Amino acid sequence: MKNAAFVPSESCATCPAFAQLERMGIKMDRFDHVIALAGNPNTGKSTLFNALTGLKQHTGNWPGKTVRRAEGGYQFNGVRYKLVDLPGTYSLLSTSQDEEVARNFLLFGQPDCTVIVADATALERNLNLILQILEITDKAVVAVNLIDEARRKGIEVDTRALSCDLGVPAVPIVARTGEGVMALLSSVADVIAGRLQTQPRRVCYTPQLQAALDELVPLIESLAPGLPNARWVALRLLDGDARLQQALLSGELAEIARRQHVPESRLSRQIAVVGQQ
Amino acid sequence: MSSPEHVLSRAEALRRALPSDFRDAIAQTLYAEASRIARRAVHTRGQRGRDLDQWIDQIVTGPVTGLLVMLVLLAVVVWLTVSGANVLSEALANLLFGLGDLGRSLFEQVGAPWWLTGFVWDGVYLGLAWVVSVMFPPMAIFFPVFTILEDLGYLPRVAFNLDWLFKRAGAHGKQALTMTMGLGCNAAGVVATRIIDSPRERLIAILTNNFVPCNGRFPTLIMLATVFVAAGFSGPATALIAASAVVAVVLIGVGFTLLMSWLLSRTLLRGEASAFTLELPPYRRPNILRILYTSLIDRTIFVLLRAMSTAAPAGAVIWVLGNIPFGESSLASAIAQALDGFGRLFGLDGTIILAYIIAIPANEIVVPTMMMIYTGAGRMIEAPEGAEAIRALLVGQHGWTLLTAVNLMLFSLLHNPCATTIITIYKETRSRLWAAVSVVITLGTAFLVTFVTASLARLLGLFPSGG
Amino acid sequence: MEWLIPVVLLAGLLALALRSRLAASYRAWRAQQEREQVEDALKHLLNREHQGRHASPESLSGALGLSRAQTVRLIERMEAQGLLQSRAEQLHLTPAGERWALNVLRAHRLWERYLADEARMPLAQIHAEAHRREHTLSEAEVEALEANLGYPQQDPHGDPIPDRAGEMPSRASCPLTDWPTDEPGRIVHIEDEPAVAYQQIAAAGLKLGQTVRVLERTPQRLTISDGENEYRLAPAIAANVSVSPLLPTERVFDGDALPLSKLPLHREGEVVQIDPALQGLTRRRLLDLGLTVGATVRPEMQTFVGEPRAYRVRGTLIALRKEQADHILVRPIAHY
Repeated sequence: MKNAAFVPSESCATCPAFAQLERMGIKMDRFDHVIALAGNPNTGKSTLFNALTGLKQHTGNWPGKTVRRAEGGYQFNGVRYKLVDLPGTYSLLSTSQDEEVARNFLLFGQPDCTVIVADATALERNLNLILQILEITDKAVVAVNLIDEARRKGIEVDTRALSCDLGVPAVPIVARTGEGVMALLSSVADVIAGRLQTQPRRVCYTPQLQAALDELVPLIESLAPGLPNARWVALRLLDGDARLQQALLSGELAEIARRQHVPESRLSRQIAVVGQQ
Repeated sequence: MSSPEHVLSRAEALRRALPSDFRDAIAQTLYAEASRIARRAVHTRGQRGRDLDQWIDQIVTGPVTGLLVMLVLLAVVVWLTVSGANVLSEALANLLFGLGDLGRSLFEQVGAPWWLTGFVWDGVYLGLAWVVSVMFPPMAIFFPVFTILEDLGYLPRVAFNLDWLFKRAGAHGKQALTMTMGLGCNAAGVVATRIIDSPRERLIAILTNNFVPCNGRFPTLIMLATVFVAAGFSGPATALIAASAVVAVVLIGVGFTLLMSWLLSRTLLRGEASAFTLELPPYRRPNILRILYTSLIDRTIFVLLRAMSTAAPAGAVIWVLGNIPFGESSLASAIAQALDGFGRLFGLDGTIILAYIIAIPANEIVVPTMMMIYTGAGRMIEAPEGAEAIRALLVGQHGWTLLTAVNLMLFSLLHNPCATTIITIYKETRSRLWAAVSVVITLGTAFLVTFVTASLARLLGLFPSGG
Repeated sequence: MEWLIPVVLLAGLLALALRSRLAASYRAWRAQQEREQVEDALKHLLNREHQGRHASPESLSGALGLSRAQTVRLIERMEAQGLLQSRAEQLHLTPAGERWALNVLRAHRLWERYLADEARMPLAQIHAEAHRREHTLSEAEVEALEANLGYPQQDPHGDPIPDRAGEMPSRASCPLTDWPTDEPGRIVHIEDEPAVAYQQIAAAGLKLGQTVRVLERTPQRLTISDGENEYRLAPAIAANVSVSPLLPTERVFDGDALPLSKLPLHREGEVVQIDPALQGLTRRRLLDLGLTVGATVRPEMQTFVGEPRAYRVRGTLIALRKEQADHILVRPIAHY
């Protein structure tokens, strides 16, 4: 996988994988799939975004820098992807505006796959967000970024063990140099096509909370049969999430659940616009 | 089949039955699981890289070394910006003004009426050229340098080092950085407050950013310092004295920032939500090419375009005022005359007040506008060459005193944000109220402070001609 | 003085232009004043009822600082609105009046929570500020506030916050006299009648929200302790103090636990508790960053004034101010 680097200055004849990627900047009039890019702040999320789309977003070495949701496109193996860069957050449980934008896009925007960028040097902290995202969506790939920096610091990440534990692919990458990015993109393609079956890890909450969830989940499922993330919805309703309450009342959730069963309609659908001012 | 209303009411009932700390329990469960997974997947051998990070941190946050590193870096950044901008500004001004002359002669050859030539080239174009040549060079140098420090991971350490000071003022340590950004441009400084994730502290940083003079106000400060403060000295000492005077003004600005932050956090913003968190990320090698590209495009060009859109109409207004005859002189002179009494109340004069009213879109054109009115010219002009000539014009012909100079310095430091910044504040806070507050508190402070110094000077019988 | 004429004319014109708007704002202001007066009166009545006695016109005029005539007018107006009934010099809330009163109480206590948790205002100041704000919100806005705060059940003083329907969550509590010895409990209510007993309790220094345990009980007196001070009360008086069991997060730790701010540099500690007094934005941020119970933390650096300090938490470096670190209890981890 180390050979898969795609530094533009290098000759691409030696790396066949590079020929498969075409950066499309903001030309995204037609696209086949929508990919959400999520992750903690300061994990190299926008570096990956720029590397894939050819756009030049800047967020700096800063935790907590709010930027508007950025979108770009890339083409991989002839398939066009639209990449939506979500605000970097530590969690999805709070009421901050960034977290609402990220949370609502994952739920209502229904990306075909979510790439979760994690910092290999602080994996534990990043796993908090990863586990939360896996509650919302089972179509996800974890990109373990900054592997080079981790190596320098004497930290080795066993991505195979990580994949096993999380139930979704975990791919080591160095977004800055492009190392591993091709493998990441093919994992994304495999997950979307169903060639890779994901079985995301769901945590066990405290007995009291679990009991409350066990009561709510069947109620929600009866309203929105087939909803893949009924447990997350139940958790948010217990939290009193106003946006979800409204989605439940308006039938939006049932609509999402219905669309899950009609894959063809997903290709041409309009992306729900969330979190835009 | 249950109804949505039923689900919601069940959820509410279940929530009330849960212990009130169930959110803590969720976070705890998630992190416990994260910790288990990380233990299996992450293997640590030695701590080489971390040792280096820690060693750097020892230096940059050490009591003596930390301060030293900070001051040296600040001095380098400011020096690079000011000295580099001087050269670039001159070249750019020569080029743009030359183009303007070319355009004017072209118009004259075609036989365009004088008012059209004047309006287009001496008004709109000159305003644009002035703003671009003064504003672009310092930003083009300052922003990339600042961005390099940002990408390195050094800036959060500055926030860490200075937080104790800002905490006393009810503000956030990161405000040190948004203020530094304000030196480059207040509008950019206001945008930079996004790094402050606590609502109250962010509003404080937004509302007080203007007390740090941006480089658009530097020409005024430098001119005053050279002409009035450094006048008694000769040779290389002049530049040094002038520079120290400007630094002193910036420090006064920092003092006002802290004072106003303190006041705001205890009055207007008392009920806003507040929290402090600051992550100190590991040091990283910055990607210089990307930094150059993004800081030039995202920050410099963005700010410049916003400024240009307001400078063009300002240039037009200035030309119109300077060319409509009114009695023996122009309308501009007449308005300046009318405002004179008001200006004298604050140790200034009518021309200065008018220049500041016209220069609301961009502070860069304050000096040229003042010079235009003083000399009775029909277009903005540069200050005369040499400190003596400026002295002769301001002190000799227009009765300036040291009080005028000091109060103009203070007024330039404290007055209202430029139009670009006001628009930016409105966009960032999404509130007309906060944009208005930012104008009221700065303008109020400016008038109050200059009124007090002018009155004191009058009471003590100093500078009778200026008072 | 001729220049005054145009100025006066201009001012007159302006006044004419603004007249309708001014009148409208004046009417809005009057309505707000009336609403505040009515709501304060309702609160007074509710308060009295909770104490088991009835309000009278005298007590109302005293509580609101109104003259007798004003009070009579207010009572008449509220009676006409169906909010209260006046019988034999006693004022009673109607069901509608009680509902409204509970809503005001709810807004007040939610605001107190907001000011204490989110705005980090000192407890001594929040009552007055909440009192100013309680009359400003519509019902929908109160609900948004409640959701934003995460549906708290008690105000910062430990008093229950009524829900939308006016129901008060009750927390099982019992008088100190019936409380088991040595079991920690939180003071959730101090009966303020009879006043003599209340004064004795207050003079002893017992406060709402305090965590105490009964050390010893004899027929003559109860000896209770909050960990630092001991208090002695006669059983008849102690019966007026109600305590309830601690929530899991309120458990008291003694022995080797210490605030994170006091953990020596480069010494590892395990988080054992985040003070329940620390709520709102700050608590959420701490949890998001991984400062949960059981996490390992190590202070790595501090500035020359001693704060903020930077702590290594789950592989990242987080700076906290002293007042935050004060609220996080850690147990130092023994090395080697």
